[in-house]
Amino acid sequence: MAWPTKPSATMQVPRRAEPYVTDAMKAAWTKDVLPKYATKLGCLMPILHDVQHAYRHVPYQAQLEIAQFLGIAPSDVLDTVSFYDEFTVEQRGVVTIGVCHSIACEQCGCGSTKLIERVREKLGLLPGETTDDGQVTLITMDCLGSCDTAPVALFNETLHENLTPEAFDRLVEQAAHAKAGGHH
Amino acid sequence: MPTSPDFKPTPVLTKRIPEDRSKRSTVSYDQYVATGGYKTLEKAIGMQPAEIVELVKGAVLRGRGGAGFPAGLKWSFLPPADGGPRYLCINCDEAEPGTFKDRLLVDFDPHLVLEGIAIAAYACQMQTAYFFIRGEYHHQAKVFKKAIEEAYANGVFGKQGLLRGASKFAVDVVLHRSAGAYICGEETALLEAVEGKRGWPRVKPPFPAVKGLFGRPTIINNVETLAAVVPILESGVDAWKKLGVESTFPGAMPSYGTKLMGVSGHVNRPNVYELELGIPLRTLVEKHCGGMRNGKKFKAAIAGGVSMGILGTDQYDAPMDFDIGRKFDVLGLGTACPTVFDEDTDMVAVARNISRFFKAESCGQCTPCREGSGWLLKLLTRIERGDGTTQDLDMLLEVAGSMGLTPGTTICGLADGNNWAVRTIVNKFRPEFERRVKPRFVPVYVSAAAGR
Ligand SMILES: Cc1cc2nc3c(=O)[nH]c(=O)nc-3n(C[C@H](O)[C@H](O)[C@H](O)COP(=O)(O)O)c2cc1C
Ligand code: SF4
Ligand code: FES
Repeated sequence: MAWPTKPSATMQVPRRAEPYVTDAMKAAWTKDVLPKYATKLGCLMPILHDVQHAYRHVPYQAQLEIAQFLGIAPSDVLDTVSFYDEFTVEQRGVVTIGVCHSIACEQCGCGSTKLIERVREKLGLLPGETTDDGQVTLITMDCLGSCDTAPVALFNETLHENLTPEAFDRLVEQAAHAKAGGHH
Repeated sequence: MPTSPDFKPTPVLTKRIPEDRSKRSTVSYDQYVATGGYKTLEKAIGMQPAEIVELVKGAVLRGRGGAGFPAGLKWSFLPPADGGPRYLCINCDEAEPGTFKDRLLVDFDPHLVLEGIAIAAYACQMQTAYFFIRGEYHHQAKVFKKAIEEAYANGVFGKQGLLRGASKFAVDVVLHRSAGAYICGEETALLEAVEGKRGWPRVKPPFPAVKGLFGRPTIINNVETLAAVVPILESGVDAWKKLGVESTFPGAMPSYGTKLMGVSGHVNRPNVYELELGIPLRTLVEKHCGGMRNGKKFKAAIAGGVSMGILGTDQYDAPMDFDIGRKFDVLGLGTACPTVFDEDTDMVAVARNISRFFKAESCGQCTPCREGSGWLLKLLTRIERGDGTTQDLDMLLEVAGSMGLTPGTTICGLADGNNWAVRTIVNKFRPEFERRVKPRFVPVYVSAAAGR
């Protein structure tokens, strides 16, 4: 989260010809999202979730397209994207490994520090980094609401509990070979 | 008046959820109805909305999200309905480290939560309920979405009015997923997040009951708070008040009812237990959690989420009720989810871990919180490494003590959490910190010319 410096107004947005926001997305949002919120800006978070989920990031071009779809300022989109950890401008790997490093996970079982160290040994990643082939991203996360089964880690959307170094190694190994689109 | 509880589990909220993890599964709409579900909503819509508010007020149902503010009283702050929209926001952000209780209800008995939502929405005449769930609860969001769909399909919610039109009052429930920001659990930051903005807490007043979501009257309640409305209406206020304890301070608010207590850390059976408020932490750990792990001794426990500060080695008998803050020098009961540490735990590391959390999650609006959290982390990291000095300890306490709503320097309570966590750990385990720091020698230069 926190307070990143935002790119200046003069920055060049990299563009591709094909839009990120597809007609199918727009149709789904018109039907399912727009009726649920009193303002256009209110519809932003569910839309950002969809885009992040589809492309594993919300590039600047997509932010402009979303702004245009909702009829709001691009800076409002940027403001929200930059605030929430789950929305990223850089593309995440096919599998994002999110190791909880809050208090119970750090202090219980083998401990999160050891798990993070394992990913560094196996894939050469520090928290926040993605492998060069775009396959795996490692992030540290705060309390995942599963402290009674600490330590835990999210592999994309699946939570793995009571992790041992061996079980974790196997998951990291699978992550390194997982196919895009398939859920871990 | 509560009887003196013997602290046997009293399932009120977890009637349908076994304590044994392997036996748990999500209660479907049909199973919920077959076990008496939505009967209480039926009863509620036969009553006047104001009657329900009075009942909940009478039960002194204190908020389960951390602050312990009585729900009925909060509801009574709503202005009279003016025909415009009014909102209910259900706080399922549950991002406070150590806390994992709301998840149990959402995972396994989502219709209990939905019934509570429907009753609250009717009682306060709020047409739309936003169920605000943290982004990391992927599985829970799916479970709850399915439960909402089931409830719509069976006419609990929707245009026709509550319970297939039994009441003309129509309620809609919207699932709103957050995206990884602890601060959005703070009620006004939550409102900003639902409005699509960055989660910056608002300056109060105006309070949300008067001017909340989209500028309209809004009530924000925790998941467990709303779930508790169901047994209160079902079994009556007197049955509820038999559970829990009175305050031992004259005239102070009681701690009635049961509470979900998620115990984590160095205990044999970490889990969520539903127990009466007032149970001593020792009983909770020794009797329900199978004692400390590996036969180790109790050293400390975070009271109920890292924001609340720490209970020291001599505070193992602290009763888990809303008096805990005043009696044991912690911020409060919080979420009543203690994280328990054994004798081998390094308290400097605990303090460093917690201050890292607050530094990462400060939203950055208030200077004492944004800058102070960074300083606390720097100092604690230095002390953990062995490079700290005695002066750093004093500086820790000074910086921590200057942050928060209580010293009056910030907009929201996140900074108080940081303040209390760091101060209570340093104060209650001071010798451990002192062993880790070097004395700071102040060089004294004696001039040869002195006195000449
Ligand atoms: C930094 C911060 C984080 C909070 N996080 C949560 C949370 O995750 N869940 C929650 O229910 N309340 C949380 N709260 C408390 C809410 O602001 C609010 O008091 C609560 O949701 C009201 O519901 P209740 O009265 O039913 O407890 C948080 C407060 C602060 C200051
Ligand atoms: S106290 Fe901290 S988290 Fe709360 S509003 Fe201020 S800067 Fe943000
Ligand atoms: S501390 Fe890791 S899940 Fe709570």
